Amino acid sequence: MRPLRVLIGTLGLDQHEVGAVAVARQLRDAGMEVVYVGRFQLPPAIVKAAVDEAVDVIGLSCHSWEYLYYLDELMALLRERGLAIPVVLGGSVLTAADARALEAKGVAAVFGPTSAVEDIPATIERLARAR
Amino acid sequence: MTERQSYSGIPLKPVYTPADVAGLDYAARLNDPGAYPYTRGRRPATQEAGGWIQHELSGEGTPLRSNAQFRYLIAHGATGVDVIGDTPTMAWLDPDNPAAVHAVGTQGVSLCRLEDYRELYDGLPLDRITVSHSLPAPFAIAGLYLSAKARGVDPKGLRGSAIQVPFYCEDCGYATHMPFALRLRLAVDSIEFATRTMPKFHAFLEDTYYISDGGLDAVEEMALGFVEIRYIVRELTRRGVPVDSFAPRIAILVNCRMDLFEEIAKIRATRRLFARMLREEFGAQDPRSLAVNITSHTSGLTLTAQQPVNNVVRGAVQALALALAGVQAIEISAFDEAFRTPSPEAHLTALRTQQTIQLETNVTGVADPLGGAYYVEALTDEMERRIAEMVAKIEGMGDPAALCDGGWFRALFQNAMERYARQIKEGRLPKVGVNVHRMSDEEDTLLRDVAERKFEPCRERVAELREFRRARDPRGVGDALSRMRRVTETKTDNLMPALVAALEAGATMGEITGVMRAGYGHPYDPFGMTESPV
Repeated sequence: MRPLRVLIGTLGLDQHEVGAVAVARQLRDAGMEVVYVGRFQLPPAIVKAAVDEAVDVIGLSCHSWEYLYYLDELMALLRERGLAIPVVLGGSVLTAADARALEAKGVAAVFGPTSAVEDIPATIERLARAR
Repeated sequence: MTERQSYSGIPLKPVYTPADVAGLDYAARLNDPGAYPYTRGRRPATQEAGGWIQHELSGEGTPLRSNAQFRYLIAHGATGVDVIGDTPTMAWLDPDNPAAVHAVGTQGVSLCRLEDYRELYDGLPLDRITVSHSLPAPFAIAGLYLSAKARGVDPKGLRGSAIQVPFYCEDCGYATHMPFALRLRLAVDSIEFATRTMPKFHAFLEDTYYISDGGLDAVEEMALGFVEIRYIVRELTRRGVPVDSFAPRIAILVNCRMDLFEEIAKIRATRRLFARMLREEFGAQDPRSLAVNITSHTSGLTLTAQQPVNNVVRGAVQALALALAGVQAIEISAFDEAFRTPSPEAHLTALRTQQTIQLETNVTGVADPLGGAYYVEALTDEMERRIAEMVAKIEGMGDPAALCDGGWFRALFQNAMERYARQIKEGRLPKVGVNVHRMSDEEDTLLRDVAERKFEPCRERVAELREFRRARDPRGVGDALSRMRRVTETKTDNLMPALVAALEAGATMGEITGVMRAGYGHPYDPFGMTESPV
């Protein structure tokens, strides 16, 4: 069985990168392949990379409120193209109320500032295997 | 753990005694406040002195909304203004760039034109208060200079500062989308420009705060800061700018994390190191060149999303340490920092914390109150030794510019942040509410309503900018941008006169910067969304 492939990226002008890199390393250490697209990505580029690289999960780092606006666009693009790739968000600005709203929009999992980060690999694995 | 250590790894004894300061030569190593090597303070102690510039980091939405924040803080006793740009502004992009529109005004103020600066400072007593800028420095300097002139305020009397961050900005949270050579040139050019036109303004504010908040420890914070200071001082003197003309206007913006005595020792050691360096290595003679101005922020990194009220306490103890260290200005990171730019409630709490420390504790009555303490002096010596050693090690590895381009600093930042996260995860660095004394989300409600309040991006700025572009004189803008391009391509002429003229002609920061990027062979627009007008 090939290793799971996870895209890690950051939306818009959000300049924070530490969290995204730390999660990428964490997933790599858990035996996954990380497709690190980095900062300054807009939804069409993320969807294209997800398809080109055949990823199992899309992971996005959110340390600015831009995700509030880009997420709808991203989910719509995935739906239009019939792609059922789970989307996971993680970041300091994601409150418990945000998490509920995001899950209602179809986001598969949300990791906020009070979440247990050590659970991220297991959650990603579970989502990928459930596809 | 077998041995107690300071946060940066200095072994600590259970108690310090006269034996720890046995060789301390008072005149050579400490001396009175206001006397070389300025360990105990940059100014002579007087009974009237005491206190510091009190400001709070501001900026949200439009320039006018940010101006209202300034007025609110000044009305409640702030003695300075400290402004930070939103994400597009900090990326040197215009708000109507399609990649920027969802980020306009949410993490700071949106600024890209001369009239934005005029609105930002509108009605502020520029002759009385200091204006500190966490913004693209050349534009902040040009914007303040032109706004003051338009109001009939002599730029020669302006006070305040602009952070200069050419070395580490791309590695810890900022992204200018510019090559190092251009970042450095803009820093040196704008310092040189301000030295002539705004001689009381600290156009060379070395920002070590964000180095420390990037996870580096106090020794690394100051070592990297000194590497940058030394590099820029050498660049300026190489150009023939006399060291005593600009050195009095170098300031350092330090962080203050939770290891209070280490932070106090760091600041005292920094004053001593700076004085010695400027006198012995760079030949400065004016006493004002040797006595460095230190401004400060309490640490955003140490604040937590859990139990936000605890952040009020963290801000207070850090600010007390800064007051004891004798800094010239303090900003307390607001209790909702983990979530958003400061709410009015958090702004006021931070300002009131400063006022309470200043007015009720009597800590400002006596200069350097910890001077002579066995522990503090031993720790100050050790911090000084370790900082100097790390500066020498980095400079010994080669040209710092090459280290920067090669990603050496980037790796340092990345590893430091992982180290910090690991220390918290493993409980080695206690964090109340995070890895000790936790409570459930249901119980953790105090101040959460304030901290979690969101607001919309400033979309009206986008429409306003598009209309502004349509209505301005295209010929004047085109000529100014063409000149900007020509000056950029000389690679040596000072960029500031053309930059100032372009702002005056109605060009925007995104356009002016884009033309400079293109002059260095980089894309005009890093997102490829807009075309160069020239």
